Amino acid sequence: MITYIGAENIISPLGVTSQENFNKIKQAKTGIACYQEVGFGKENIYLSKFKTQTNFYDLIVSCLQAVIAESITNLIFDKKTLVIISTTKADIQENIASPILFSVNKLKQEFNLYNTPIVVSNACISGVLAMNTANNYLKAGVYENVFIIGADVISDFVLFGFQSLFAISEMPCQPFDKNRKGITLGEGAGGVLMSINKNVYKSICFEFVEGTSSNDANHISGPSRTGEGLFRSITNTLELANLNPSDIDFISAHGTGTTFNDEMEAIAFGRLKMNKIPLNSLKGYFGHTLGAAGLIEMAICIQSLRNNIAIKSLGYHHQGTSEKINVTTQNINMEINTILKTASGFGGCNASAIIRKLK
Amino acid sequence: MSYISTYCHISLNQCFVDGKQTHQFNSLSIDQFLKDLYTALSLDYPKFYKMDRLTKLAFIGTELLKKEHPEITMYNDNEIALLFGNNNSSALTDINFKESYQNGGSPSPSLFVYTLPNILLGEIAIRNKWYGENMFIVNENFDSVYFINYVNILLNKNAEAVFCGWLNVNDEMVEAFLFFVSKKDIIQLNLPFEKSKLIELYQENKL
Repeated sequence: MITYIGAENIISPLGVTSQENFNKIKQAKTGIACYQEVGFGKENIYLSKFKTQTNFYDLIVSCLQAVIAESITNLIFDKKTLVIISTTKADIQENIASPILFSVNKLKQEFNLYNTPIVVSNACISGVLAMNTANNYLKAGVYENVFIIGADVISDFVLFGFQSLFAISEMPCQPFDKNRKGITLGEGAGGVLMSINKNVYKSICFEFVEGTSSNDANHISGPSRTGEGLFRSITNTLELANLNPSDIDFISAHGTGTTFNDEMEAIAFGRLKMNKIPLNSLKGYFGHTLGAAGLIEMAICIQSLRNNIAIKSLGYHHQGTSEKINVTTQNINMEINTILKTASGFGGCNASAIIRKLK
Repeated sequence: MSYISTYCHISLNQCFVDGKQTHQFNSLSIDQFLKDLYTALSLDYPKFYKMDRLTKLAFIGTELLKKEHPEITMYNDNEIALLFGNNNSSALTDINFKESYQNGGSPSPSLFVYTLPNILLGEIAIRNKWYGENMFIVNENFDSVYFINYVNILLNKNAEAVFCGWLNVNDEMVEAFLFFVSKKDIIQLNLPFEKSKLIELYQENKL
């Protein structure tokens, strides 16, 4: 049984379709800009933020509509169709009493969904984990189609929180670079359709091969020094996919731009002997969009498969990890068949997934 | 075939394991109750005091089950998956964190870290050195169909056991239902992991 993936959408400050977003980042355009006096201490902060105030509900609705538009009519109403929502803080700014379920219940009514959506809220791996969950459901025959939508918006709550951890970069984030100083927050939504039927897609679709997660069992807010959880997750994913590290053409890493996270990832890739494979982080374009990150980045991975272009890792100039890894310093036109997507987050969680072109 | 090897319920001042009462307290607050339970279990894990209420509840429930049935720890470090959920994510700590930076205060990093519900999975993983699959979901109600489907998926994929939890806390109440599902009936309670049985056990001790 094959799980298919496609109909990808991205809504970000760079655009409202995946093509538009891909074209912008191909030209090294970023959504990140400096916002005056928005920090807790009235600091100027770099953010990837929409020009107009955007709420969580509108984002998930627009993104779901866009994915639906790329799939066959009425698929969303099917009894064998599920919607999975990936988010961390959802509508925390406006509705702290029910930041997630208020919007999700409204979505269920608005779209007349047969099955109640499942909400994955697992820090920064939520998006990849949501796709892994969809794959598991599809391969087990529980559902036939899963729409996965990830979204998060920038709020004082999240910004002040990351400021309190001294995790916000004073400059646009520079994942894997030696001068990296932390994260840049972003907002947006990403969506894909995963299915056991190839014919539900309007455009070419791809295979979602496998995905797993693993905990570091080490620290709640700092990554493992040995990259243990990420190492284990990628190892498990490769094994279930029946692939070797050498079968991976490109890696879309998590790369937040913090000292410890990026170092941890480099160590894990080194342990896996995957440090020669071209790799990027997309956080330099979209910022860290938390629960949306996995979906937005997977949508770009799919665009990379469609266009055979590996995107440059924006903000990277000089090796900044103890383990040398192959971070892309320019867009590369290359035959890409198989991509590994990874994510890591607070709570010591790590996830990985592999997609590839259909044979 | 899979089994509910053991399960527990925790509500204010009461704990039940496998349907039998193990602890009863007269604590005057939820926080005091969790502390009293920690003491009663003779735990020595100072990190407990740093956790938020939801995480304390998950942590202490896990320790309670381990105390009654050490068998559940007899797995390889990657064989146990964690599947937890609730209906309000980290709402209580969200409110506390927001209060920390309003009215002249500064945002509290120690509270902010607990504004992600999956942190409790990390705490359980750290304590027990469990490296398996983790997932936290937010749902309106305890959904037996979700747990039946997804636990079986994980058991058929790469887990030998799935440790599950449904827990909610706020200022007035505390509710935890933890259950350990495994391929082998390790404690031999003879509880098949089926929808009707799971619902029956979930509703047990609900007053």
